[in-house]
Amino acid sequence: MKLHNLGTVLGFEVRRTLTKPSFWLTSLSIPLLMVVIFALMFWSNSSALSSVDTQRGEKQAFTYADSSGLVSPTVAAEMGGTRAADATAAAQAVREGRAEVHLDIPADPTREAVHIVAEDVGLIQSGQWHALARDLLERSASERIGDSRLVGVLTGVSTDAELWKDGHRSPGLAAAVVPGLFLVLLYMGVLMLGQQMLNITVEEKENRVTEMILTTLDPRVLIVGKVLAVFAVGIVQAMVLLVPAVLVGVLFPGLLGAATAGPGNTLPADEMPPLALGGEVLIDPVRIVLAALIFTGGFLMFTGLLVAIGSIMPTAKDAGSAFGAVILAMFLPLYTATMVINDPTSVVSEFLTWFPLTAPVTALLRNALGLLPVWQGVAVALVLFAFASALVWLGVRLFRQGSISYDKRLSIGKALRASRSRPGS
Amino acid sequence: MSDTTPVMEVRDFTMEFGDKRVVDGLGFEVRPGETFGLLGANGSGKTTTVRALLGIYTPTAGELLVHGRPFDPAGDYSLGYLPEERGLYRKEKVLDVMTYFGQLKGMERSRAALWSQHYLERVGLGDKGNAKLTTLSGGQQQKVQLGVTIMDNPSLLILDEPTKGFDPVNRRLLLDLVEAQRAAGATVVIITHQMDEVERLCDRVLLLKDGRAEAYGTVAEVQDSYGAGLVRLHFTGTLPEPRGWRPLTLERNYAEIELAEGTDAQALLRQLVDAGVTVRSFDAARTSMEQVFLKIYGHQPGEGAA
Repeated sequence: MKLHNLGTVLGFEVRRTLTKPSFWLTSLSIPLLMVVIFALMFWSNSSALSSVDTQRGEKQAFTYADSSGLVSPTVAAEMGGTRAADATAAAQAVREGRAEVHLDIPADPTREAVHIVAEDVGLIQSGQWHALARDLLERSASERIGDSRLVGVLTGVSTDAELWKDGHRSPGLAAAVVPGLFLVLLYMGVLMLGQQMLNITVEEKENRVTEMILTTLDPRVLIVGKVLAVFAVGIVQAMVLLVPAVLVGVLFPGLLGAATAGPGNTLPADEMPPLALGGEVLIDPVRIVLAALIFTGGFLMFTGLLVAIGSIMPTAKDAGSAFGAVILAMFLPLYTATMVINDPTSVVSEFLTWFPLTAPVTALLRNALGLLPVWQGVAVALVLFAFASALVWLGVRLFRQGSISYDKRLSIGKALRASRSRPGS
Repeated sequence: MSDTTPVMEVRDFTMEFGDKRVVDGLGFEVRPGETFGLLGANGSGKTTTVRALLGIYTPTAGELLVHGRPFDPAGDYSLGYLPEERGLYRKEKVLDVMTYFGQLKGMERSRAALWSQHYLERVGLGDKGNAKLTTLSGGQQQKVQLGVTIMDNPSLLILDEPTKGFDPVNRRLLLDLVEAQRAAGATVVIITHQMDEVERLCDRVLLLKDGRAEAYGTVAEVQDSYGAGLVRLHFTGTLPEPRGWRPLTLERNYAEIELAEGTDAQALLRQLVDAGVTVRSFDAARTSMEQVFLKIYGHQPGEGAA
């Protein structure tokens, strides 16, 4: 294939996309939205933490009624609590705004909930009343047991598993992170760029530009140039999404970690569990290479499919309806993911792994979880590359025939028959 | 390649779409510097022939050459093509689109942009370079379309139904631009239904009927082969019995008379005088291309099945 004018097509397509304000508005809206969400989460978490800190550092005036007998009057007094002589009256005082909070401890707090009557200080700030009740009971229990480790065992312990398989240390979920990213990347790529790929072959048709264009370049050059331009734009879009996230992660390492805590989480910042990004991520080169191969084959396959669909359809609107079917094929394996994970050798799993439209997602999922033999991963990638090549070949031929079929949908059969009957085509 | 090498050559060209034969064994050539008319009713194979010449269709059989070789988009051509189905990237800026097409035709980006700006100023759209095409009126878009077609002064212009959909102003502009290109030595191929344009612009023509060449030659040759001529006559008296001629229009004192092959205008005039007809004016002309069209296709240009 002569590459005459490939650079011109690529430059025009990339330039006209990147110079559109709508592109930047759309692309930047996602990271901006993420920043806003993270900021809100950070703020709410900080509020919750500060309220807990405040609670621990300062006394919070409250009344309580204790049917269990577990509450230590000493601890309660230290925390600002006063035993209510009349629980009903104490609760009523709160309802009438004369007191802030009243705790009603049941006879068996392990079976019944502690009833809290408290002032509404906002959706987030009101979480402090739950923290107050838990703190009161934990500190009272701790005083009675006299051993903080025993209290810790009762309130929750962390575990760390060392898994082995076939005499080798199994990396577990930690090794699924990087190969799993390729699955996320595939979804993002097709969802964000799919419509543009679909329009690649429709736009010239809709605008009646095809004939003028085809006297200056080979149709394959036009398609390849436009596909490369979509990839380039996709990379820019990915950078727009990732760079702010990475920068935030690097410059404010506590921000994302802190943001993972909810209002009910009473752990202080220094006790937070490590953020996934900063946590232990094991690198399994074989799985990562397999994931990259399957991702590339899958992405090319979807690209070829969308280009072929666009070549048949007369307008972007017609082509858009076909996009839904492609998306359905991508999401189908997710609905059956549990079945695939539980029994990766079942007939359904094998079918989804080998059927080209469901293969990329299923194979990437199985590979990420260590459920795909290496030979099978390589074979699936080869099948995807072969299928992608066939689709691109078909797409170019359909484009040759369909690009000047301005008003009606192209018949694939007729197009291929016409293509076969023409020497040199 | 010498100067006499045909700019276009078509030999035994056949085109089939499935079971349907659209063009059947067609052959013709276009010489350097001439204006060539490719004529025919709708569906006669004109556009198919041009598309095959430009490599958009691959022929079922035959040879189609441009400058002595099959058309290659990557070749060193200087081509301006205005297709019948035409348009531009409507959502893009005028200057960007024109520059892009200039680059595709082999111009440097900066030179294409400069050429485009000069052209826009020439046609009164100097301030529209940064406007999106979709914001331009239909007539303004047609001007841009014309600019894209004649970018970099091509030596070969192929115009498929060039005035189709054009308003009178742009039609005039188009004809002026074509005339300017022709005067500069360009070869022009026009596919048209407008027979007045054919008579005015074309040196030679090819009339296609059902995918075959029905008539081929200079305009005069084709006119002559479809009638010895036409006489417009103002007279007093009664016309004699037709011998070697027939009246196409006959009114009280006016007639349009078609001469049969082998009959010249002098013979008709002699018959009229001999019959005692007083001839007040006698205007002999060749058969018009419109009449030729009517004879071949049985309907007016632009009518008939697609």
